[in-house]
Amino acid sequence: MAVAVQYYLLLSAVVFCTGLFGILVRRNALMFLMSVELMLNAGNINLVAFSHYYGNLTGQVFSLFIIALAAAEVAIGIGIILVLYRNFDDIDVTEATTMRW
Amino acid sequence: MAEHLVFELAPAIAGLPFLAFLIALFFGKYMPKKGALAGIAAAAGSLVLAVWTAATLFGGAEPYHTHIYDFVLGAEGVGGVDLSFGILIDPLSALMLVIVTLISTLIQIHSLGYMNDDGQTGLPRYYAELGLFTFSMLAFVYSDNLLMAFMFFELVGLCSYLLIGFWFRDEGPPSGAKKAFLVTRFGDYFFLIGVVAVFATFGTTAFVGEDSFVVMAEHALADGATEHITTYLGLDVQQWFTVIGLLVLGGVVGKSAQFPLHTWLPDAMEGPTPVSALIHAATMVAAGVYLVARMYGFYALSPTALGVIALIGGFTALFAATMAVVKQEIKQVLAYSTISQYGYMMLALGGGAYTAAVFHLTTHAVFKALLFLGAGSVIIAMHHDENMWNMGGLKDDMRVTYLTFLAGSLALAGIFPFAGFWSKDEVLYETLIHGLAGSPLLLVGYAFGLLSVFVTGFYTFRMVLLTFHGNPRSDAARDPASLRWNTKLPVAVLGIGAATIGFINMKPVEELAGTHLTFLHDWLAIGTVGEESEFAALTTEHYHHILFADYGAGYSAADLGPLIPAVVSLGLALAGVGAAWVLYSDPDPVPQTKKLGSVRTLLMNNYYQDEFQVWLARGVTVPVAKAADTFDQSIIDGVVNGVGSVSLFSGERFRRIQTGVVSNYATLLTLGLTLLLVVFGLVGGWF
Amino acid sequence: MLIEATFFATLTAAMVVFMAPSRYAGKLATLLSVVPLGTSLYMWFTFDGSGNALLESGDIAFETTLSWLELGPYQLQWHVGVDGVSMPLLVLTTILTTLALISSWTPIDERESQFYGLMLLMEASLIGVFTALDFFLWFVFWEGVLIPMYFLIGVWGGPRRKYASIKFLVYTNVASLVMFIGLFGLVFGLGDSLTTLGLPEIAQGVRGGDLGSFAGLDPEALKAAAFLAMFAGFAVKVPVVPFHTWLPDAHVEAPTPVSVILAGVLLKMGTYALLRFNFTMLADVARDYAEIIAIFGVLSVIYGAMLALAQRDLKRIVAYSSISSMGYVILGLVAFTPHGFGGATFQMISHGLISGLMFMVVGVIYNTTHTRMVGDMSGMADKMPWTVGIFIAAAFGYMGLPLMSGFAGEVLVFIGAFHSTVIPGAPVYTAIAMFGIVIVAGYLLWAMQRTLFGPFKLETDYEVGPAAFHDVAPLVVLLLLVILLGVAPDIAYEMIQDAINPLLGGGA
Repeated sequence: MAVAVQYYLLLSAVVFCTGLFGILVRRNALMFLMSVELMLNAGNINLVAFSHYYGNLTGQVFSLFIIALAAAEVAIGIGIILVLYRNFDDIDVTEATTMRW
Repeated sequence: MAEHLVFELAPAIAGLPFLAFLIALFFGKYMPKKGALAGIAAAAGSLVLAVWTAATLFGGAEPYHTHIYDFVLGAEGVGGVDLSFGILIDPLSALMLVIVTLISTLIQIHSLGYMNDDGQTGLPRYYAELGLFTFSMLAFVYSDNLLMAFMFFELVGLCSYLLIGFWFRDEGPPSGAKKAFLVTRFGDYFFLIGVVAVFATFGTTAFVGEDSFVVMAEHALADGATEHITTYLGLDVQQWFTVIGLLVLGGVVGKSAQFPLHTWLPDAMEGPTPVSALIHAATMVAAGVYLVARMYGFYALSPTALGVIALIGGFTALFAATMAVVKQEIKQVLAYSTISQYGYMMLALGGGAYTAAVFHLTTHAVFKALLFLGAGSVIIAMHHDENMWNMGGLKDDMRVTYLTFLAGSLALAGIFPFAGFWSKDEVLYETLIHGLAGSPLLLVGYAFGLLSVFVTGFYTFRMVLLTFHGNPRSDAARDPASLRWNTKLPVAVLGIGAATIGFINMKPVEELAGTHLTFLHDWLAIGTVGEESEFAALTTEHYHHILFADYGAGYSAADLGPLIPAVVSLGLALAGVGAAWVLYSDPDPVPQTKKLGSVRTLLMNNYYQDEFQVWLARGVTVPVAKAADTFDQSIIDGVVNGVGSVSLFSGERFRRIQTGVVSNYATLLTLGLTLLLVVFGLVGGWF
Repeated sequence: MLIEATFFATLTAAMVVFMAPSRYAGKLATLLSVVPLGTSLYMWFTFDGSGNALLESGDIAFETTLSWLELGPYQLQWHVGVDGVSMPLLVLTTILTTLALISSWTPIDERESQFYGLMLLMEASLIGVFTALDFFLWFVFWEGVLIPMYFLIGVWGGPRRKYASIKFLVYTNVASLVMFIGLFGLVFGLGDSLTTLGLPEIAQGVRGGDLGSFAGLDPEALKAAAFLAMFAGFAVKVPVVPFHTWLPDAHVEAPTPVSVILAGVLLKMGTYALLRFNFTMLADVARDYAEIIAIFGVLSVIYGAMLALAQRDLKRIVAYSSISSMGYVILGLVAFTPHGFGGATFQMISHGLISGLMFMVVGVIYNTTHTRMVGDMSGMADKMPWTVGIFIAAAFGYMGLPLMSGFAGEVLVFIGAFHSTVIPGAPVYTAIAMFGIVIVAGYLLWAMQRTLFGPFKLETDYEVGPAAFHDVAPLVVLLLLVILLGVAPDIAYEMIQDAINPLLGGGA
């Protein structure tokens, strides 16, 4: 008895909205990064769910790609955050506006 | 065409001085006389060739015309214009060649004394430039078409620029040189339009032959043969020819220093005196008048152009003569007398007296070169003081110079039997008879000319008396520097010439004596050419024919003997000399011109012509240029920079969207996505 | 193959010089630039082309066609070749570059290898511009010229170099864009009849009446619009008043050798392109608008000369007088007469040599005095006799002294323009334009009197003496070339006329 695909989508939507909320309101860069991860994984859930629903493995393969991509992204993101911290003694994203122009 | 060796050598007449130019420029430094010997040898060589050429013509040879070089050929048969160089040797050009080479040779010999013995620097440059000058003038003289003439005409201008500015370390000469070139350039501007117009009208600028523009123009007017002629601006053939003639005349007025472009000539006195002699007697200034004579067949077609020439000439003759009356520097007096004398030649050409014009050109070349070289000798003796009021009493210490200078002055004043008398008299006589026969414009010119005979006599002898007579008025005049043979020889040669050259065309005496004495007239009539010859259009007979033809100037001659006008002009000249004698023969003369009051101020300032032209340059042109510059920098460049500023400014505004706060970007992203979804939803009908 | 050899030799030379140590860069670059000079001269002497490269009228010399890329329906080609118009310009480019490289030895004293590398890179692009017969290829070179020029002004320039270089780049680039749009209007208007972007194909197509409608414009309107866009684009390059203001700024800030190339060759790109595009492809439109274009030409002549009269900086004087001289070219081109076209093309060559010479000689004086202002110095003739002698000769060349190339160019233009049948009132316009020869004499004589003559005066800590041999040698070479072309214009003119002739035959 499989769980209906709607429930997966609902979960995915919740996770995505959580991530989106985090991006919009948080000022801590680490939280930012985590929120982005949440949004990515919401996408993954969708891919896997539909993959299972249609019985086609392509979606699951792509989710693997996305996980690898997310890892790379985090590595770079953490790097940026480290540099940010060194320069501003803080990881508040609004502090870095002096770099804008 | 008879083949004569000397004609084959014709290119060498101009080529030798060019060679001297190169030698003096590059090797003059290492030569014993700094290039002078090369220059003298080349000029003398050219003189020999020129005399030989003239003698060959005199001996009955046909004139010579050959094509030597295609300047621009382009692709075949394209454009329909003929741009080439050629040599034309007829009696007119042969005579001029002799004059130019003779004067050039004598001047370079004189320069040995004036420049070398004086320890001047830059002599290789000096002789090189003289060589180039002679070359340009000679090439101009025997050029067979108007384009070639223009080209060498311009080179003559360049050389005069270089030579007038020879002493470039001082302030004056470069300024005089600039003025000379600029004023003549202004005239040449019109000349160049004329050349281009001749090309566009006739497709050729040749002087000689059936296809020459002169002959084509004549046929167009005489027989209505206009199929190969294009006129412009909606003018008919006669009017258009007049326009072309007047345009070319612009160059003549500039080079021959006629009113109103005469102002450069007195300033050109800043150059070394031998150069002044060369410019005034044989090259630069003569070039203008020579050009009119060269294409006389064309001018004779247009009564308007002739009238303008006569009027300009007559007016200039008087106008310049009055200014010469008050000048204090000996060279300035001579400069204004040159302008005045060239005015006579213009008057003659305009008055239909072609032979007389050439005659006066010849005699003037001799006596004016003489006067300048004499003045040069005086200036050396006076240690480069040119003010006549510092001279006086030089006649005893400078016997040869005095006597020759006196001969030149008598010629200039037009006293029987010196050269100037014959030529000037013939100018006036011819103008008078043509004027009396129904050309009132010529009578006005004649009146001007006659009046200036008196003035000429006056200023000439004022100059002689102040310079050579009376008591010395300065230390330099009491003890003048001695002169060597190299200054005396040329003036002696020219002195003999000034006394005798007039005998080549003794028109008034001809009637008295009853024998044939107008040799120059015969020479220019080119008795050897037949009706069919390509040179038939270059004879005085032919010019005479055009002048009197209906389609040409339409002149006719009044029945008046040459004797009475001759007596009148001689009387006036003697009156002028007498007036000078009365006023200045005192051992300690006083400046009588002071009595003229404000007129003197006007004359000293040259009728404010210089001021007027300087005002045109500084007061009009420069402010206009500055205004154009301001306009350019503020308006045109302002628009360009304005476009830059606008884009910079809008960029400045737009970038404010980029706050630098990541959350804002995320908000924008989210909102954008939502908005897109809503739009797609609405369009796609999801709701 | 010779064009490729010339081009790639220059390109390789540029790469080599970029990597060479700065100490040798100047000499090495000069040495290497002799190769394209040699090949182009060899091409000159073995030139066997006839007719116009854009029209079916003869043989294009040294032609090569290779397929390169496919762009939509169009086959892009490496198509190069020269005719009587581009051949002299090609030689002008190689000669001037070599001489400019020699004249850089003294003034350029930092980042030499980059400087000489960029100069050679620019030469390669210029060779491309004058030989390319495919629009795409041509456009690559056309734009390729701008980049080295931008750096050459921006890095080695005077105090306001940044302003000048950006102005130059933006202005000319915007102009290229406008021109590009114009040409592509024609390309799209030709539609399917066109399979390549070759200039001959486009030209013959347009002249042959294959043009259809495009973007709602009927063929006639499309032609007029394309003409306008291309004219505006090229007018900036020439430059025609009122699109000229980048030029004086660029010239004043650019180092001497760059000015030489800028005035000597870059400006000719504009008139060359005008000749190729506006007056060949769209000749009938040009005839219709001849009077307006002639007015632009006359305006450039007189206005440029008047501006030159108001300047004190010697380089600015020469820069403005270049505008004036290029006005003659415009006037000659628009006359649609053999001597108009021929004279204009000849004037391009002649002005390239004379303005190059003029900038070089001003540069030599500047190297010594470190000022170019009239009034800051006088009596230079005393200190540098030979340089000043050449200065005077060059100035008279500029004034159009007979037996120097300027006169031949100008007089041919005047003759051509005077009897033009497409310009109503041609004699009047010609006469007005000719007044330029008086103004040019005015400002050059004035400048010469103030700087060269009179007693020596200059406030400087530098030693003022005669210039080095390698500074004077290029001047002498250029002067001799100017005189050579002035005495025997047919050296180049015959070739030019041959290429110009088919243009006047009407039709294709």
